Amino acid sequence: MTMYQFINTILIGITSGAIYSLMATALVLVWRSARVVNFAQAGQALLSTYIGYEFIQRFHSFWLALLLAMIAGAAVAALIDATFMRTLFRRAGHGPIAGVAPIIATLGLLGLIRSLLGLIVGGKDARISPPVSNIGFTVSGHTLALSPLKLLIIGSVLTLMLVLSLIFQRTNVGLALRASAYSPEIARLAGVRVDGIRTLGWALAGAAGAAAGMLQTPDGNGALSPDSLEFSLLLVFGFIAAVIGGLESLVGAVVGGLLLGLVLAFVLTYISGSLVFITAFGVLIVVLLVKPGGLIGSRRGRRA
Amino acid sequence: MVRDGVAVRKFMGSYFGRLSFFILLGFLLFLASNRVDELRVYQGATVAMYVVAIASLILLTGYSGQVSLGHGALLAIGGYSAALARNHFSAPIWICFGVAIVATALAGAVLGTAAARLSGPYLAGSTLALAVGLPSIANQFHILGGEQGLLFDVGAPPARLGADFTQYKWYFWIAALVALIAIWWLQNILRSRFGRTWRAVRSNEVAAELAGIHVGKSKTLVFTVSSGLAGLAGALLAMTIGTVSPSAFPLTLSFALLTGAVLSGVTTLSGVMIGALTLVVTPEIADAISNRFATSENVTTNLPGLLVSALLILVVLLVPNGPVEQFRTLRTRKRANTHQ
Repeated sequence: MTMYQFINTILIGITSGAIYSLMATALVLVWRSARVVNFAQAGQALLSTYIGYEFIQRFHSFWLALLLAMIAGAAVAALIDATFMRTLFRRAGHGPIAGVAPIIATLGLLGLIRSLLGLIVGGKDARISPPVSNIGFTVSGHTLALSPLKLLIIGSVLTLMLVLSLIFQRTNVGLALRASAYSPEIARLAGVRVDGIRTLGWALAGAAGAAAGMLQTPDGNGALSPDSLEFSLLLVFGFIAAVIGGLESLVGAVVGGLLLGLVLAFVLTYISGSLVFITAFGVLIVVLLVKPGGLIGSRRGRRA
Repeated sequence: MVRDGVAVRKFMGSYFGRLSFFILLGFLLFLASNRVDELRVYQGATVAMYVVAIASLILLTGYSGQVSLGHGALLAIGGYSAALARNHFSAPIWICFGVAIVATALAGAVLGTAAARLSGPYLAGSTLALAVGLPSIANQFHILGGEQGLLFDVGAPPARLGADFTQYKWYFWIAALVALIAIWWLQNILRSRFGRTWRAVRSNEVAAELAGIHVGKSKTLVFTVSSGLAGLAGALLAMTIGTVSPSAFPLTLSFALLTGAVLSGVTTLSGVMIGALTLVVTPEIADAISNRFATSENVTTNLPGLLVSALLILVVLLVPNGPVEQFRTLRTRKRANTHQ
């Protein structure tokens, strides 16, 4: 019994950790390309998930809806960068507020998206049911926490990460993305269209965030609401995972997400469900105090 | 004429000048509180609370270049600790306010030490995390009373103030007095050695470090002081609504405070009233709009948030340094033109 409980805890941790990894990846992608932590990512994910929900109603296919939601998420993110963030950097790119203006602006965007969604679809009963069964496999009389749904979530996250790393490592666009993240000025001198590449970074992040939202909702209770706590927690856990990974590296984001998912799953199973959040916050503070550069990130932290 | 102006400015800049300005302001507020109706008096108390909370955010953003996205969580720490002191030790309200300041400053010191050594958005993310997780923390510890929260009753006004002295007026008096003292104290500390250090760090971190200032320590200190003020604001908020519960400190409160700070202009304390007044007026406007046009509950619940977020974005885009600073820049430019 205890052995099965242990295995189940690990399985739950990996599944939720995979979703945190996606969110952390989204945050890291924007941070690398624009030096902005995009707090609006939760709002964008929520918006994309609602779009995905509408597509599910129309086409009755979760996977098609997931794909379309990711495209929509990418388009929204690219639009935000190309219009809103560009204007912001032109107008508030200098002066005492320059350092905090992007943070404030993305938070304002989060509030705006949430209240607009609340105006339009608030109070409506929206629900995304799992595309496959969420009942765990049974091994010699014991029910495992590994259901077809969880397997598919882990599989989708793996596929997405694989595609992303292929883009980054094997294509010219990926090279341009890495170069502009490393040094925008030199990349520009070398002929990289840094502005367009930054928008592309935002778009990739928007797609990753949309996937995180679409996969998280059926893994939870399936309910979708504009003021859902789940999406706020997704943002917070994604941020913590990204900080564990050093905020710079994609590998770090994945490792951070899985670590956080495992730690939280063990706290949930063996201690108490209501301690989950406090544990996550404690992890954040400890990482910031002890290894401010992240467990995976560059050896020197981004010191003040 | 010009010399008179200089003398006035010199007097206002001195310690006694500021002290007498705040005493005069307090006296005017005292007169005003006897002439307006109950609702306005209550709103006055809310404005005073916002003044303290926004001043705390301005101090943080303007003097350490960091921003707190979950200032509501710090207000909550203040509110809860004041309520605990009141309910368990039946401490007098002034002591409760003191407890709120000290407890929140301590929490801020821990959070600030963790985040202030780093550049970028770490403090923003940590505070946002705290604000999101507030309900689960309140539910975890029985002493905090879960969803219902705790009562915080500052008591009826003293009998010698007269029978027709209302509860709301008493709130207003306390809140206004606290806000005046807090702002006066803040003005003084900004002109002291600490204020100069903080300004030096704000203008150029490398230069400040070369001058022997420990940048990390200085930022942590700013966040600690800012947290103390936020705790005080939280105790004031708890007083005006009579309870502390997770729902009294929602994420929208943090958004609103940030909007107020940006509207006031994060580089100067003098605009703090603009932000505070806007935050009190915005829900009224939202109410008026939804009463006139609204057909559904969606509009009533989401319109205030929509207005606040839209305002936040517009201000950051159009007048990023705040209207006061913008006005100042325009005036200097105009003066420069006329002198040519």
